[in-house]
Amino acid sequence: MKKLALLPLIAILSACTGSGGFLESNTVVIEEKGAEGKAVDAIVRDESSFNWSDLTKPFSKADDTNQAGVKQQAVAELKASDTNFVLYFAYDGTDIGDKATQEIIKHANFMRDNPSVKLRLEGHADERGTREYNLALGENRALAVKEVLSLYDGMNGRIEVISFGEENPIAKTHDESSWEKNRRVEFIYE
Amino acid sequence: MKLIKGFVVFVILSLSTAQAILEVTVVKKDENAFPIIVSHFELTGKNAQDKDISNIIQANLERSGRFNVVIPDAIIDQNVDAQHWKRQNIEAVVSGSIEQQSDKIYKLSVSLFDVYSNKQLFTKTTRVHVSGFRKVAHQLSDHIYEALLGESGSFNTLLTYVTVTTDAKGNKEYRLNISDSDAMNVKSRIKLKTPILSPVWSPNRKYEHKKIAYVSFENGRSEVFIWYPYTRRKIEKLPRFDGIASAPSWHPNGKSLVLTLSKNGNKDIYSYNLEDKKLTRLTHNPSIDTEASYSPDGTRLAFTSNRSGQVQIYIKNLTTGKINRATFEGRYNAKAVFSPDGKSLAMVHRIDNDYRIAMLDIETKDLSMMTNNELDESPYFSPNGDMIIFATNRDNKNLLSVVSVEGNRSYELFSQIGEVREPNWSTYLEK
Repeated sequence: MKKLALLPLIAILSACTGSGGFLESNTVVIEEKGAEGKAVDAIVRDESSFNWSDLTKPFSKADDTNQAGVKQQAVAELKASDTNFVLYFAYDGTDIGDKATQEIIKHANFMRDNPSVKLRLEGHADERGTREYNLALGENRALAVKEVLSLYDGMNGRIEVISFGEENPIAKTHDESSWEKNRRVEFIYE
Repeated sequence: MKLIKGFVVFVILSLSTAQAILEVTVVKKDENAFPIIVSHFELTGKNAQDKDISNIIQANLERSGRFNVVIPDAIIDQNVDAQHWKRQNIEAVVSGSIEQQSDKIYKLSVSLFDVYSNKQLFTKTTRVHVSGFRKVAHQLSDHIYEALLGESGSFNTLLTYVTVTTDAKGNKEYRLNISDSDAMNVKSRIKLKTPILSPVWSPNRKYEHKKIAYVSFENGRSEVFIWYPYTRRKIEKLPRFDGIASAPSWHPNGKSLVLTLSKNGNKDIYSYNLEDKKLTRLTHNPSIDTEASYSPDGTRLAFTSNRSGQVQIYIKNLTTGKINRATFEGRYNAKAVFSPDGKSLAMVHRIDNDYRIAMLDIETKDLSMMTNNELDESPYFSPNGDMIIFATNRDNKNLLSVVSVEGNRSYELFSQIGEVREPNWSTYLEK
């Protein structure tokens, strides 16, 4: 029988394999109890990856898994269909040209056909200029894409906008060949 | 006698291991740097032998670029032979002694002797706890600097900066570090796999009140956190706002900070009061407004805005509410910070394709270039206003550079094992 138990000292010590010597607050210790109620084994898991329903439900959530699979497949098909998942921008620019608009329309159609998918738009900037301005600029780029998508029905609450500014470059050299790749918005479906 | 001449690279290597320790290199010194003897201290008592803090004072004075420090082989006691040093073109002599009084307590006596007037400028005698040697060395450096130059030093102060290391698999680790002004005594408790930005010291003078506001992406988007490095209360997250929360900067009273929020997508500047948790909007403009920074008296706010179609610096008068454009030269001026006297702004200025640190005289609108680099960012003044620290890039690597406002002195801080960026310099600590 599996049961949540108070942290036995041994479990805490065995969890401290790292150098810090502290048990992380989001770590859960699951204790297997033997016939005499003695702890025979301690399993340490990270709560963030721990599915609580495992304890109460003997069966996996088949429906959710299936749905996720269907979504994944749909996204894979969209990727294979010559649709760009990254749009690029001019220096200090947020303008969306005709070509980029064509790509956004493909994504809008995809979202219409797959009403359960949600989209995260991640805006990025190149390294030139200040980090905080670039954080704002990256958000404006993602918002510009969202604005076009929002012209279509059924987008409410389905699009999340995040900016990473210049913090997550794709290309690492300090010249235009890299900068043009880093001024971008990425489409990430969930 | 070891002579350290101007323009000779002076590297201070550290002893610590796993920490993201920075190496300090003096690049450029004042041509008329002040020739000074800083003798090793006389050490008495069995545990006093490793307590010679004269090396901290030597490094501090040397790094400022305003001194040529001479370290004699023999210890000089407090009876200084003025005629001898005059012949050697030495203008001042620092000597001292450390005597162990009890297990943890030491008696420290330090003198500054002026060769030309043949006078003791000061003798400071103090009892030091074993934990306080670094602090007292920085305080003494400030006393020496002020006694000889008539200006305040910036030695008894703190730095914060972000270091980034990449392992063999390409995974990054970001650390938020604090250190003394000499980049020693490093503490780096915040270690993340996601970016850390814009750390800034609160203006409080007492250690237990000192805080650092910073931006972290640990929850998948930019959020503002406050770190209490010297108290049990470790880290506090500001309430969740929609969109971006970033670019924190303290009000000089330490009770509130300004930050950039993008509610409804519109990036404006807000003041957040840490006591009553009230949010006040300070700019209302559909363009990007960000990187706000208070004047030292708290009456003005400089910020970056692209409201004109270009990226420029604006100053809001917080008494009248009026906003005026401050920069007119070039098409890109960003991240301005006020000098401690409130008369100038340091900022990032684009010239051709290069991003350099520039200084603006607010009244005359004169803009002077401080650097000759390609990718400078994040300028901040030393608390005495004498130097500007900033991040720059050389050979594809981020390092910190410090230049005097006259441009005649500079030094660098770099890491052998990673990149260093986002510097910020604290105000003075309590004496």
